[in-house]
Amino acid sequence: MMSIDRKMAIAARIVKEIRRDRRSVAMIIGAPIIVMALIGFSFQDQKPVLNQVAPALIATMAMFFVFVLTAISFLRERSQGTLERLVSTAVSRSDLLVGYLAGFLLFALIQSIIILSFTLFVIDVEYSGKIWDIVFILLMVTITSVSMGIFVSTFAKNEFQVVQFIPLLITPQIFLSGVILPTSQLPGYFQTLGGAFPLTYANRALHEIMLKGASLSDVSTEIGILVLFALGMLVAAAVTVRKT
Amino acid sequence: MTIPTSTGITDMEPAISISGLEFSFGNRPVLKGIELEIPRGIAFGVLGANGAGKTTLVRLLIGRLAPGNGTALIFGQPPGPALADSIGYMPQLNALYESLSVRENLDFFARMLGLSNKDHRSASVDRVMEVVGLSERADSVMAELSGGMRQRVSLGVALVHEPDLLLLDEPTVGLDPELRASFWEHFKKLTEAGTTILISSHTMDDAAHCDTLGFMRDGRFIATGTPDELRQSTGKPDSSLEDAFLHLSRASA
Repeated sequence: MMSIDRKMAIAARIVKEIRRDRRSVAMIIGAPIIVMALIGFSFQDQKPVLNQVAPALIATMAMFFVFVLTAISFLRERSQGTLERLVSTAVSRSDLLVGYLAGFLLFALIQSIIILSFTLFVIDVEYSGKIWDIVFILLMVTITSVSMGIFVSTFAKNEFQVVQFIPLLITPQIFLSGVILPTSQLPGYFQTLGGAFPLTYANRALHEIMLKGASLSDVSTEIGILVLFALGMLVAAAVTVRKT
Repeated sequence: MTIPTSTGITDMEPAISISGLEFSFGNRPVLKGIELEIPRGIAFGVLGANGAGKTTLVRLLIGRLAPGNGTALIFGQPPGPALADSIGYMPQLNALYESLSVRENLDFFARMLGLSNKDHRSASVDRVMEVVGLSERADSVMAELSGGMRQRVSLGVALVHEPDLLLLDEPTVGLDPELRASFWEHFKKLTEAGTTILISSHTMDDAAHCDTLGFMRDGRFIATGTPDELRQSTGKPDSSLEDAFLHLSRASA
């Protein structure tokens, strides 16, 4: 049963819940700034290095925080029993997924803009390309990340287990997608493995846009792959969403 | 705009009819052949010890679990989303959003239940807050409420769309006697108006209020009947329901 009203209600509820959770709001805004500041100011004497790693760092931050937020908040939906109550209503998978996506995208967008502004204007990373193109790529990352959070929450019984997914899913991505070393310097088999993670394509696209002034159409291959990842994760989330 | 009505439901069908219902969690059988027919407009109490299978039965009725064998029909239809408008479900856990207020919780679930018209919904929410006696705490968030109050909100969610059938999983656990009495007063009004209520409980105090009872033990109903009939089953005068339950329980073991 399709219902715009239900999707809007779910999104509005998520926004309300997060806004009232001041610590989460502080984390959404503060945590990425602290991390970026730490890295940014450590590399002030090595600007070229900073310029090189910044695109990948921005994407990683956007992915990481949204993933943790979504996974935990969906897990709570399961553990407090509200998901069970919801499925006893006529709520559909698409209501839940679209509602969650819309609710979290708002925060993700705000967060991406904060991370980006801080990186570009406070740490003063040099960039070319259009800002909105960068934001667009970050949004693609977030859609994938929200879906991944919902999907992963199926496999966790509590908050501790969600946290265990960070070294399992996020850390390898950080390494394999070229945040620490450019992917071209990784061994061949790691480059192949890196191809299995969405962050690799997001980093590549941001790299092209921010360092070489590429336009969205120049990185359409990467965008296409990101869309596939987002869709794949959405389908995976949809399959598991009604399980408790 | 959808006002929940008994759409497509004929008045002929019983509220609940279950036959040969079996269910296992893995290798562990939980329900072992349930036979049950509940007519409309009564309060039916499912009585049994912890682990007897009461919650599993309720979860099968809301369509959360699928039966291994046998059938469960609600108003003649198998459980599923199509029946959502006709069923009010109160789970054992309060299952509410901690950071939302009483009104916000009720409003949210009312929207999920298909009350998309804002005025109609807001009237329903006001009415239900009146019923559960929380009008004055409308704007308090869950975290500020006592256990009994949360339970009243939880009941409110089950009532907000005026369903034809209420499935209440241990709704009176942890309630003080006064609140329990007021819950039952309201349940009485509802059944008189034609609503069917299935209520699971393990206290004999609830049992006495029900029109019909089913004693459940180890995944089966060992006896069903009115409280009086069950009391008489012991063969002794002035037996309590508790005596009856223990008597029947031992007889079936």
